[in-house]
Amino acid sequence: MNFLTVVLKNLLRRRARSLLTLLGIAIGIAAVVALTSVAWGFEKSWERTYAARDTDLIVTKITSQSPMPAPFAETRKAEILSLPRVEQATGLLSDLVSIEEAPAVLVFGWELDGFLWEHLSLVEGRWPAGDGENSVVLGVVAADVLKKSVGSTVTIETGDFVVCGTFDSGAFVENGAAIMALPQLQRITENEGKVTFLNVRLAPGTTPGEAEAVRAMIRERFPGMRAFAAGEVAQNNTAIQAAKAMSWATSLLALVVGAVGVMNTVLMSVFERTHEIGILLAIGWKRSRIVRLILYESMALSFLGGAAGIGLGVLAVALLQLAPLTRGKVEGEIGPALFALALAIALALGVLGGLYPAYRSSRMHPSEALRYE
Amino acid sequence: MTDSAGEPLIRARDLWRTFEGGRVEALRGANLAIPEGSFVAVAGPSGCGKSTLLQLIGNLDRPTSGEVYFRSRALGEIPDAAAFRARTVGFIFQSFHLLPTLTALENVPIPMFEMPWPSWERRRRAADLLRAVDLGERLHHLPSALSGGERQRVAIARSLANEPQLLLADEPTGNLDSESAARILDLLKSLHASRGMTLVVVTHDPAVAGFARRILRMSDGRIVSDAPREEAGP
Repeated sequence: MNFLTVVLKNLLRRRARSLLTLLGIAIGIAAVVALTSVAWGFEKSWERTYAARDTDLIVTKITSQSPMPAPFAETRKAEILSLPRVEQATGLLSDLVSIEEAPAVLVFGWELDGFLWEHLSLVEGRWPAGDGENSVVLGVVAADVLKKSVGSTVTIETGDFVVCGTFDSGAFVENGAAIMALPQLQRITENEGKVTFLNVRLAPGTTPGEAEAVRAMIRERFPGMRAFAAGEVAQNNTAIQAAKAMSWATSLLALVVGAVGVMNTVLMSVFERTHEIGILLAIGWKRSRIVRLILYESMALSFLGGAAGIGLGVLAVALLQLAPLTRGKVEGEIGPALFALALAIALALGVLGGLYPAYRSSRMHPSEALRYE
Repeated sequence: MTDSAGEPLIRARDLWRTFEGGRVEALRGANLAIPEGSFVAVAGPSGCGKSTLLQLIGNLDRPTSGEVYFRSRALGEIPDAAAFRARTVGFIFQSFHLLPTLTALENVPIPMFEMPWPSWERRRRAADLLRAVDLGERLHHLPSALSGGERQRVAIARSLANEPQLLLADEPTGNLDSESAARILDLLKSLHASRGMTLVVVTHDPAVAGFARRILRMSDGRIVSDAPREEAGP
């Protein structure tokens, strides 16, 4: 029999206590996995959206920390187009609006002759025919969530729109959105002549240095405006940052609860086993070996709890993606990085949770611990 | 107090052990010398300080004043008390003190972790010791599946794990019926005879003390008599 066998047998032969501890850790880690996965998924989804649009630069107006960018005059487009290396630019307006029973749906207004449409594939119906047409196309997830098909009418804010088509995009965010002609959204959101983003394509062969020069030029010539490389927008988006901060804050709470749970359980097990620790000390175990015994036990429990928590977290994300309230709004980003993070957190919990009980057990005096029944 | 010729294995000088800031005096100036290879009983009523004396001899506790010497070396000067206990002393307790989650064959090698033996060697030695205490058929039983007498035999096998020079038994038959108690005493006696180790048994039971060659009688924290069995009286 070796030392690790003692650790293992202690856990396996106290099944109820081990399972309860494991469950406590698993719930904490599941919360971390689910929340982090959703936050990361939100960010990734936006990154994929910009990648799908094949956009080199996104021009937007920096405001105070509002979750949505501030609208600005669409005449800015002509000025941007006059800059060197800029080949195409198209404006878009976006807003979160209520559509019938759905409280917050992302609605885009796109220029009908802009390049953004290129990456969408029509699933059913047709694209909006003109700026004056009260029509909308729905992403496949949005159509499913809103229970609308081609020919249905949807009430968006105060206006009725006919669903003229449904589309599929490589980006989850767009699949959950409704898109209409830019002037239609400008009208119903009272943003006539305004856009929230300009999507810019640079001339083929533009070097990163030249792209950076264009960005600097935009910052310089148009005070208050910023140009981001497509990948940076998600990282700088206030809504995404807020979602991430919230998910981290909630995860932190889950972690604190998890850590206290582990510490409490390990501490209880040390109290419960004071007499046993006394026996080990009496028959000559070194204090360092007893510290290792307690720490290994708590780390083994945390590792297994972490693994179970990952499973539960993945299940929770899958359920969130199916639940009526969150369907179409949540996309989990699940992968090895998240699993590694969750396991690292679980192990850290095990070490932290076991540290004080291990220290306490190592301070016991054998004759006192033996008297403890 | 009496002493044998030559350097004793254990010598205690003016041992005091108090608790609760001096309000409780468990030992009040105990002196003794135990030669190597002897079988000594420490007898006396409950609360007379005999278990405290045993814990001080086994380096499980430290005296408030005075000192215990093992082969002339003060226990207080031994830097690694745990290693001393593991390699030199075997303990047998009234309540057996087995680890409840480990089988007999897993309990016995627990003290062997401090020895440089590989896992298979520990297992072989443990199995041999359990066979020696007639538990060859109970190797894979948890303590909860063993009788009191069997548990104490596992504890005795464990106390012999590292071939100690000194075996300390605190009321080893206190929790056993008379038949099991007699068997345990026979076993201790035969182990003492066959292995030649020094054996100190603490007991309040005159019948148990009767097995020893020498009896130290304690009362109120002091050793009041020290005599060979024949002279010790009831």
